[in-house]
Amino acid sequence: MAKILYIEDIQDNITFVERIIKSRGHEFLYAQNAEQGLELAITSKPDLILLDLGLPDADGQTLSVWLRGNPSISSTPIIVLTAWPEEVARQTVNAYNLNGYLCKPFSLPSLVKMIDSVLEENAHED
Amino acid sequence: MLMKIEIIPADRFTIQELTELYNQTRVDYLVPMPMNADRLAEYVHDFDVDLKQSCIARDMNGQVLGLSMLGIRGDIAWITRLGVLPSTRRTGAGSELMDRMLENADLLGLTETHLEVIENNEPAYKLFQKKGFVETETYLVMRHAPRPLSESLQGHVTWLDFDSALEKLETYPEHITWINAFESMKNSPNTEGLYLELPNGDSGWLVYRNTKFTLRSTLSHLIIHTEKGDSQVVGTQLLSHLHTHFPNHDTYAENIHENDPHLTAFNTLGYFTNFARIEMRRKKK
Repeated sequence: MAKILYIEDIQDNITFVERIIKSRGHEFLYAQNAEQGLELAITSKPDLILLDLGLPDADGQTLSVWLRGNPSISSTPIIVLTAWPEEVARQTVNAYNLNGYLCKPFSLPSLVKMIDSVLEENAHED
Repeated sequence: MLMKIEIIPADRFTIQELTELYNQTRVDYLVPMPMNADRLAEYVHDFDVDLKQSCIARDMNGQVLGLSMLGIRGDIAWITRLGVLPSTRRTGAGSELMDRMLENADLLGLTETHLEVIENNEPAYKLFQKKGFVETETYLVMRHAPRPLSESLQGHVTWLDFDSALEKLETYPEHITWINAFESMKNSPNTEGLYLELPNGDSGWLVYRNTKFTLRSTLSHLIIHTEKGDSQVVGTQLLSHLHTHFPNHDTYAENIHENDPHLTAFNTLGYFTNFARIEMRRKKK
């Protein structure tokens, strides 16, 4: 079982992802803005962060810099869930040293596959 | 289906209410840009948005449908944050909001109205065309993530405080869009800059905002000018000095003209384009 933090401002998206993650037996945490997300990431040390790029206080790119800049969580894998076009999502993941992306609307199997893949990859690195 | 719509001034609503409405209108937007109340208040202040002249659309049952904001500077108006709730689009609310904003601008004697629309937002683009707006320029919105620099630093840099940065910006010879304009930078206490002199006498400056969040800062609103010399060389050095000085800052460069002579410098430093904005203008009839 992994601890997964979802940082997303839209409640419907949180509810959808929470259902998927809990049904896979993982622990689910969430935050609805960047500063709460950073605080929760530092205090709870999740195994994986799912990050929306459009947040109300600071956007997901800025938050990812804060996350990567904090030594206690700098290596936590981050998957971007975004409404941005795929090319922008790809460039963002490369530039900000993130671990993957899914463009909204994404399918349930694609989210599950991405989470499993990143968690497995990270387990091997540990 | 068109419905009967009432347009009322936005200053009847609190910033929190306007924020919630704005976020609801953008929930499925091409480029999602939600805000919190603090950011919207800052936006209203920095960009001279007049909430008395800004508008809310609602139906006859009092249900709020959408909003639009009007910035005013001198004889020029700027329409921004126009949005209609996804469930009430194609009801005529966007058109009614635009009509009232333009009527307000005309009644105030403003000679021209500007706005920006994200490239490929066809419904909005067509609405603005229908209201008499003409496409003028295209601008890029770019990002830069912290990364090791490969460029070696050259020249002598003088860091500019708020007043010195504005002095430089006041001399900028090209048109700047509303959000990077002198007034916008003057309205923000976060405006700073740097001035560069290269060994061969070439020179230029870079003005930007250094916004302090609770935990970290970000750089934004970059305006680069080469006073003397090759724009690519001067621009690359200005950006290299900036990112060496602020190695951990995320950077958001908005509204860089698509033909800006410093674009190669941005690319050299690893900036990439998020999206493009089209500026449109309408003269008073």
